[in-house]
Amino acid sequence: MDAVFLAERLYAEVGSEEALYLLATCYFRSGKAYKAYRLLKTHTCSTPQCRYLLAKCCVDLSKLAEGEQVLTGGVLNKQKSQDDIITEFGDSASFTLSLLGHIYCKTDRVAKGSECFQRSLNLNPFLWSPFQSLCHLGEKLDPEQIFRLSSLHIPLAPPPPISPAQNPSHRLDTALMETPQDTLELNRLNLESSNGKLTSDSTVSYIDSSLISPDPGSLLANTVSMGSTGSLLGKQNKPKSGRSLLGGPAALSPLTPSFGILPLDPSPGDPTYLQNYSGSLDTQQTAPSKKSVSRIGQSKSVFSQSGNGREVLPIPFSQSQSSAPHSSTTPQVLSPTLVAPPNIQPRRSTRLFTSASSTAKENSKKLKMKFPTKIPNRKTKCKAAKTSNSNLNESLDILKLDSSMNDSKSLTTPGYQSISLQRAATDMVLSMLRELGRGYQALCCYNCQDAINILSSVPAHHYNTGWVLTHIGRAYFELAEYTQAERVFSEVRRIEAYRVEGMEIYSTTLWHLQKDVALSALSKDLTDMDRLCPQAWCVAGNCFSLQQEHDIAIKFFQRAIQVDPGFAYAYTLLGHEFALTEELDRALACFRNAIRVNNRHYNAWYGLGMIYYKQEKFSLAEIHFKKALSINPQSSVMLCHIGVVQHALKKSESALETLNKAISIDPKNPLCKFHRASILFANDKYKAALQELEELKQIVPKESLVYFLIGKVYKKLGQTHLALMNFSWAMDLDPKGANNQIKEAIDKRYLPEDEEPVTEDFLYDSGKNPLSAEELTQREWPADVEESSMTDADDSQLHTAESDDVL
Amino acid sequence: MAPRSELRDVPRHHPTTQRTTMATPSKTPPGADPKQLERTGTVREIGSQAVWSLSSCKPGFGVDQLRDDNLETYWQSDGSQPHLVNIQFRRKTTVKMLCIYADYKSDESYTPSKISVRVGNNFHNLQEVRQLEMVEPSGWIHISLLDGANSPIRTFMIQVAVLANHQNGRDTHMRQIKIYTPVEDSSMGKFPRCTTVDFMMYRTIR
Repeated sequence: MDAVFLAERLYAEVGSEEALYLLATCYFRSGKAYKAYRLLKTHTCSTPQCRYLLAKCCVDLSKLAEGEQVLTGGVLNKQKSQDDIITEFGDSASFTLSLLGHIYCKTDRVAKGSECFQRSLNLNPFLWSPFQSLCHLGEKLDPEQIFRLSSLHIPLAPPPPISPAQNPSHRLDTALMETPQDTLELNRLNLESSNGKLTSDSTVSYIDSSLISPDPGSLLANTVSMGSTGSLLGKQNKPKSGRSLLGGPAALSPLTPSFGILPLDPSPGDPTYLQNYSGSLDTQQTAPSKKSVSRIGQSKSVFSQSGNGREVLPIPFSQSQSSAPHSSTTPQVLSPTLVAPPNIQPRRSTRLFTSASSTAKENSKKLKMKFPTKIPNRKTKCKAAKTSNSNLNESLDILKLDSSMNDSKSLTTPGYQSISLQRAATDMVLSMLRELGRGYQALCCYNCQDAINILSSVPAHHYNTGWVLTHIGRAYFELAEYTQAERVFSEVRRIEAYRVEGMEIYSTTLWHLQKDVALSALSKDLTDMDRLCPQAWCVAGNCFSLQQEHDIAIKFFQRAIQVDPGFAYAYTLLGHEFALTEELDRALACFRNAIRVNNRHYNAWYGLGMIYYKQEKFSLAEIHFKKALSINPQSSVMLCHIGVVQHALKKSESALETLNKAISIDPKNPLCKFHRASILFANDKYKAALQELEELKQIVPKESLVYFLIGKVYKKLGQTHLALMNFSWAMDLDPKGANNQIKEAIDKRYLPEDEEPVTEDFLYDSGKNPLSAEELTQREWPADVEESSMTDADDSQLHTAESDDVL
Repeated sequence: MAPRSELRDVPRHHPTTQRTTMATPSKTPPGADPKQLERTGTVREIGSQAVWSLSSCKPGFGVDQLRDDNLETYWQSDGSQPHLVNIQFRRKTTVKMLCIYADYKSDESYTPSKISVRVGNNFHNLQEVRQLEMVEPSGWIHISLLDGANSPIRTFMIQVAVLANHQNGRDTHMRQIKIYTPVEDSSMGKFPRCTTVDFMMYRTIR
């Protein structure tokens, strides 16, 4: 709010485009996209960053066509090609393309969308969201190729002329893309832009959280950034009275994709700052007053040092530099700061997944607060002019230090040093991205076992994060290994109790396992925590569905849809609830909606198939099941269903084949064996069926269906006593179930006269209570009757369907 | 009617004898709460799929109160006997059980004592399938609707007729009615439900 206020004043004062952009950014960051949208609409905006922001607002407000128009010049005018966009938007082109790709996908132009995503990734391999979108589209990507630096990115050439690309909106995306590489580019951009205009440049480097791998890497990254700035410095010679604070940290922080602005600061942060550096690079050796940490605190810059240890890191470095007169002392000074970073582990995180919610300003303020606490001994009072020099020195010193610390060769040129360090750091980041990308890709193609292997082999500190564990849990879920999935998800809850993504999968896992207590606890927790996320309502709906309160479950799923109409799973779950309440038409509509939102949502295809099966439209059912299978080829449950449908279509051989495949994929699925047995039974292959069922009995000894089918087989085989035995066991196990079928089977058994004059009464004692298995066996039976090993035969007082008024 | 009313008149004047005469038919014990039944997943309440109508009602004590899941509110009839509750489905529905909540302690002479359940295709086609007598009921009464072959009835329409009340009352209170259909797990063929979680886990993809 402070920022909004100030930005409004600035805009009123200066009415320039940068101020306009700044104000719009403030509105956008504070969550009021519509304000930013209207503001930008009413005032013409020609700078690419304004246009990007406007497009982003449009997308957030679901005005997709307008957003597209803004970015590409519209449907009526000649549409710019992607190359035009790239040149126009320059460094932010990757984000622009990503946004454009998003728009295309939403408007059903998937091919163009994926093309945009690909190019965006080419331009900037550190972006995760286009990669994720491509995976969701089902594209087969090669993470090895994608997450690789191409020559574009190596800062060897002089910085290409680009328009200032630092949008706050970039920040959102760049939250994902944090690497020194980028910051280098952006810094360069800043430089260029500042070259272009010395007037207030609204784009200032924001230091952002980085994805950089742990400490050594971060250290490197920092040094890299130092190096990079050093190199930049070498190129520019324009001293500028930048706010040292901004310049310093920005220069020092490798990770900042620069964005951010200095609303009241007349000078652009980084570039000018860097120029200052370069100017005084050779001249100054003394390290003047310390960097003002408190200065940072004072600066009103929208410094999105979004709480990252990394960001803090450079500053302490600079601080230390400034405080120590020379590099000799700096090592000692540095060491404490080096220690600091581990504590300040980057709050990478949910930033990765949330859209632009956090405001840079808040972050910067937070960070400012952080500085004093973390670096209490750093008092900073120096002014801009001085600090520029000091920072320059600092950066140099740091560079030297780092190089010494890293036992690297002597500092030949700052540029050389920086590049190699930079490369090392970016390589680390990219290698991690590659691994995660491979795992994610595998998951999206439903190669779940591979995904689990890949993701489990990530270094331990990454493994124990919500993201990785959630995806592993999901992989187990897709494999129908619900107990494993549940274990993993409970670990996620323990580590990151605030995580909601993936919780809907957890709730379905608990639903399958019928753990109602855990499910209701989860539901309560999530709905208390965040009433506006669809996952919480999906969990609540699942909870009530498990309690068989389908109407309430329906209500909650509808609420989830209201909260987020783009959440496909909510539609699917709603469809399942309607199916359970026999409202098949509405169920069909829901599943279709889910497919509309996400074409690769195989659950919805399965749902459609299931409805058609219920309506006995078997061929339609088969088509839909097959489509679901094409998306997720290793699901044994799906294959099982297809087998059943094929059997219903009288294609028994293919049914058996399908079931064989299902069993080979997942030998633990008892239903596949059961259905195979039933198909064999239907085809009169009694011996095989019996064998199958015997095996099944070993696996799931308490399932009444198994005994029921065995009984039927024996009945066909003419072994009446065994049949009866099994029927009675089945009834034992299923006292409240659809006994009718079992009883019918028994009744029919004895209609044709047999050697045993057994009637239905045989099964009941005088009180018309069905006999338990034990009692039955005590009646006269032929010798070949085996004792059952049923443990609960005694206590099952089989219910009396006979009693009318009492249950 | 006359002999019966005499019989009933006697107890009214002699409260003590009322006890003794009424004690011989044992009181109808209450059944389980239908909610628990629902939780077993074997039956499902389908009253929402039907159109409900009454032969008569007092304003403010009509169908809504009968179907509002609230045992405090009730339907009060306002006409001559027999009082009818008509349940009409859009399509032929399998019904397994009917549950009526009746409480003699709160309704006294308004409590139904003789109920007849009829099914058919339309008003002219109804046939009685069950008739039961209740004696001082104090809770849920479960009426299972099974045809000759002991399987649930398939019908378009059900009519619940209150033929007589306790103490020969004219009008009747009925607090709640629920109608249940058996849940058919037809997602995997014509088999009865599975009982173990292991089976049920693999039954469907959700």
